Amino acid sequence: MNLLLLVHEWSVIALALALLLADLWLPLSSKRKLGYAAVAGLVVILLYGIIKPPPYGTTFGGMYVMDGLALFFKRFFISAAILVLLMSVEFADHIETGIAEYYALILFALSGMLFASSANDFSLLFVSLELITVTFYVLTSFQRARLASLEAGVKYLIIGALSTGFTVFGIALVYGLGKTLNFGQLAAVAGQFKSNPVFLFGLLLVLTGLGFKIAAFPFQIWAPDVYQGAPSPTTAFLAVGSKAAGFVLLLRVLFTAVPQIALEWSRLLIVISAITILYGNLCAIPQRNIKRLLGYSSIAHAGYMLLGISALSAAGQSAVLYYLSGYLVTVLGAFTVICIALQSRPAERDEGGPSHGGLDFNEDISSLAGLNQRSPLLAATITLALVSLAGIPPLAGFLGKFLLFKAALAQAPAQHAYYWLVAIAIAGVVISIYYYFGLIRAIYWSKDPADLSPIRTSIPIRISLCACIIGMLYLGIRPNLFVKFAADAIQKLTS
Amino acid sequence: MEDSQIYEYLPVLMLGALAVMFSFGILVGSVLLGKKGKRTPIKDTPYECGMLPVGEGTTRMSVKFYLVAMLFILFDIEVVFLYPWAAVYREMLRTDPGLILGAMVSFLAILFVGYIYALKKGAFDWH
Repeated sequence: MNLLLLVHEWSVIALALALLLADLWLPLSSKRKLGYAAVAGLVVILLYGIIKPPPYGTTFGGMYVMDGLALFFKRFFISAAILVLLMSVEFADHIETGIAEYYALILFALSGMLFASSANDFSLLFVSLELITVTFYVLTSFQRARLASLEAGVKYLIIGALSTGFTVFGIALVYGLGKTLNFGQLAAVAGQFKSNPVFLFGLLLVLTGLGFKIAAFPFQIWAPDVYQGAPSPTTAFLAVGSKAAGFVLLLRVLFTAVPQIALEWSRLLIVISAITILYGNLCAIPQRNIKRLLGYSSIAHAGYMLLGISALSAAGQSAVLYYLSGYLVTVLGAFTVICIALQSRPAERDEGGPSHGGLDFNEDISSLAGLNQRSPLLAATITLALVSLAGIPPLAGFLGKFLLFKAALAQAPAQHAYYWLVAIAIAGVVISIYYYFGLIRAIYWSKDPADLSPIRTSIPIRISLCACIIGMLYLGIRPNLFVKFAADAIQKLTS
Repeated sequence: MEDSQIYEYLPVLMLGALAVMFSFGILVGSVLLGKKGKRTPIKDTPYECGMLPVGEGTTRMSVKFYLVAMLFILFDIEVVFLYPWAAVYREMLRTDPGLILGAMVSFLAILFVGYIYALKKGAFDWH
């Protein structure tokens, strides 16, 4: 057993445990600062992993694999957790008790994501998924005094438990026929079960479980409510970390465990992708709550990424990875702004949500009014993020979508459904421009904004916002380096 | 192969069908054959040893019980994992000593941190 392979995992777990212990002896006033300690720890782990990359190989009897894809996603998840932790330090005032536990839980969820990126076996897939999901049950309902947060927690718990049930049942069926849980060994025998209904049903159930994680149609029903009710840093981590974990597992299952069967599922993936794109974009139009709107938009983005997976080609898979990198800086930038801009508003009751406690924030779009006068940096970041989400050049979102569509079009001569899929996706992009620009209009061109008091931003937040802006611009203007990273990462997957 | 496997479940299916038929049959039979008497609210109450079975559907329990139950499960699971570990320890010591020892030590270490956490947070104090 090679401990070096697991260097990211055990260092993150050790950091989380140290944080829990430090919480016990620190005075209440300095607990908030523990978040910065966690960020510093993660930065060290990330840099150490870049300077001295762990060797490639497998351990735990082939259960755990360290390859290019795993390494790519491990860096992705750690970067996401750094930005989310910085956000939660700002959010600390809204968490009545246990802010140190909140930081620690983010780190535990991160360790689950790190394991998920290396899963090469259905049992590790299940354990890592559960580690992520169970931690998120607590993270979503962390604001115990706020009804919306509790409601989100309960909804996520029920739907999450249901999807876990699907996954386990599917794994049992696949194991019953394939006689192995290991992805590599399964690939050797999966070809003979191509037309076995029990095996295909099991596989479909596993994909259902993963579909819940990435919030793809028809398993997207929880996303808007949970995104709206959960504390903003949790929502951000859910939108980026949890979704990416679903995608890395989807890539592994489809293209490592059952590549022969995946080739025959292009039509299913095309249909799911098309409906997800349309559903997310159309339902986002009437939303007035910002977090709910971003919840629907995240469903649409899951659809775009499924488009890349449905292309069933190396180009499609690397485009998904590239899109996720752009999505990380874009969404976390947007949520950081929302987290700060909304909490400095007086609490009012807003309409249109599921239900509200007395402690609710005003999350209506109108609360962004005059943001450019209150804080130009915040306004610039969220504007760039929304423009990037809408897919307008020269930002990261445009190039990501371009690569995805290109990969799908490359497959189109063989199967004409891809033409339709790309046409629907472009229609989705056009629809999304409408509601993203509704937000931008609220920021810059609102009539008589109610509140023009300047918003103070701390230095760490300014750094993280600048990092997001630079990331969006860099990925959009100089894509070559990251395109190469993404291509390298999926190399082993398809071979 | 699949066909024979599915046939093995036939008795289960028969039992299920029988259970549904029996319970419906009893209900329908009692409606058809039973004597219609005078119904009063007193007669309709379920018999509970002469006590009035009236009250809240759910009684409130102190949260302390849940805490104790959770902590119990936590350390119970620890023992559950220790038994099979001890059973294969000698065998695996020959093939992979690092894994067999490292896995249990790290598991116990994580639980130990949890124990200290629960202790300091006062989870073991009843009052």
